[in-house]
Amino acid sequence: MGEFFNIFIKAAFIENLVLAYFLGMCSYLAVSKTVKTAFGLGLAVIFVLGITMPINWLIQEYLLSETGVFGTDLTFLRFILFIAVIASMVQLVEMVVEKFSPALYNALGIFLPLITVNCAILGGSLFMVSREYNFSESVAFGLGGGFGWFLAIIAIAAIREKIRYSNVPPALRGLGMAFILTGLMGIAFMSLLGIDPAAFGN
Amino acid sequence: MKKRLLQFFNKIEPKKGSFAHTLYDGFFTFAFTPNHTTKGGVHIRDGMDLKRTMVYVVLALQLCYLLGTYNIGHQHFVALGQHTALLDGFHLKLIYGLIQVLPIFVVTHVVGLGIEFYYAYKKGHGIEEGFLVSGALIPLIMPPDIPLWMLAVAVAFAVWIGKEAFGGTGMNILNVALLARVFVFFAYPTYISGDEVWVSGLESTLAGSAADYGWIHLNLFNPLFEGWGWSTFNAASTVVDGYTGATPLSLAFQGGWENVTNTYTTSQMLWGTIPGSIGETSKPLILFGAVFLIITGIASWRIMFSMLLGAVVMSLLLNAWGATPFMEVPWYYQFYMGSFFFAMAFMATDPVTASSTNLGKWLYGFLIGFIGMIIRVLNPAYPEGWMLAILFMNVFAPLIDHYVLESNMKKRVKRAKARAAAQA
Repeated sequence: MGEFFNIFIKAAFIENLVLAYFLGMCSYLAVSKTVKTAFGLGLAVIFVLGITMPINWLIQEYLLSETGVFGTDLTFLRFILFIAVIASMVQLVEMVVEKFSPALYNALGIFLPLITVNCAILGGSLFMVSREYNFSESVAFGLGGGFGWFLAIIAIAAIREKIRYSNVPPALRGLGMAFILTGLMGIAFMSLLGIDPAAFGN
Repeated sequence: MKKRLLQFFNKIEPKKGSFAHTLYDGFFTFAFTPNHTTKGGVHIRDGMDLKRTMVYVVLALQLCYLLGTYNIGHQHFVALGQHTALLDGFHLKLIYGLIQVLPIFVVTHVVGLGIEFYYAYKKGHGIEEGFLVSGALIPLIMPPDIPLWMLAVAVAFAVWIGKEAFGGTGMNILNVALLARVFVFFAYPTYISGDEVWVSGLESTLAGSAADYGWIHLNLFNPLFEGWGWSTFNAASTVVDGYTGATPLSLAFQGGWENVTNTYTTSQMLWGTIPGSIGETSKPLILFGAVFLIITGIASWRIMFSMLLGAVVMSLLLNAWGATPFMEVPWYYQFYMGSFFFAMAFMATDPVTASSTNLGKWLYGFLIGFIGMIIRVLNPAYPEGWMLAILFMNVFAPLIDHYVLESNMKKRVKRAKARAAAQA
């Protein structure tokens, strides 16, 4: 349980996918204009990350690795299989959102299916492989990473709603400001960098 | 006198729209409240405008400046083992401190105000002296030996990226003064952390290393002091044995509260005659400023109180955990160390970057206290947590406000509906 918690905290705050690795920037920048849509997309990302990570772990462990059912090293198929899993999960999310919240579905527009190619999702799965997480750790990492992404996008959305009333120089309005903001938020998130939750042996 | 000044101002007023007029306007509104009246609608205008507000904060900081300046000199001579009593060698300590602080103060203002003035002219609005407060705060949170070019780069970054990009005074998301410090902190970490940097004018804090005096100390003030028969700067003096220069926090990190009290007494820590950033050491003087700000209604007592609460709660939790000696430091001793009060009084309460709803302020302050204590005690990479905790919460302040407003709206809509239903 402690380990689960550590990885969750680490993925959400300390090694935030957006603000420490700058992954998943495209939808992060494009959908963060209002808190409402950012909130919806954030939830979708938590869900997709939380689901695909363990499924991809199972695929990696039982299909692709040498100890899997095929008995040969199939890791060259990793990318295509991971993406396929992610795409189908996103399809699922899309159907659910369309059914239960058409307004959000319309607000998110093309960015909902584009979660498929959100680098944070595939990046998360690849981090999971390279860090050699086990099944429960991969669940924690998926949920934590998703939560961190969610926090980052609703925070920047609230800020962008606020600076809509500011006298920002014309050249910087819109994306320019969003990039500067992301950088400044990255500085603020560095505050937690260096804490090693495991070092205190709880 | 006042009339004379006004006449003088009227006489020298340059042509409108020129850079000189922007400058003129800045100084004019600094001396006098402009007598604009609002056209259309009913508004009450108070003489207490933005500039007057800013000046109050600067006033509240003056005591910190005085003691901070003196303390630089005091720490320097303590390290050398001369004039170790607080008031011994008063003139030497004061002059030494001034020689350190004045250039820092001047560079901060020249760079920061320069950028501010230029943009005011460029955008065609009056000069907003938003930088006066940041400019007064920045020197107080820098180590006394900071190289001036580094300071200039940091201030330029903070004003440019942190403020002007967002549209100037009152629009910034992150606290400008803290942004300048965090820039130095991440870009040049060896100049703003560790045990070496908090005492000024030594080659290093190792025993036997020499004091580092310049032309000003030796050739300008020494002859003066000699002429009056006072003690002088001694270029041959060296650091005494057993001196470390470590701040209480780094001592506490190594060995808990006992390790701190081996080096410093609690009254030293309380009054701030310890190594540290220039203005953050003396707790009573900072609290004096804080009370002043609360009475004048400029700083929010909600933020201060809830931040204190957050820090107390977290340190009690850490006490209960107690895995390292630092965690076992009793919660009330945590406040003797580090810059908690300075951050609480002057940094967290910045009305621009804090939450603006009342409930939001409680949450904002509490979380700063909570997270700051986590960073201070649990994060081995950073010696002190408040700067980073405040920046972290600055990022979330608009979000807190957003949800506080949303929930308020929801509550009101519900109430209105209930009333409508009751009437129907």
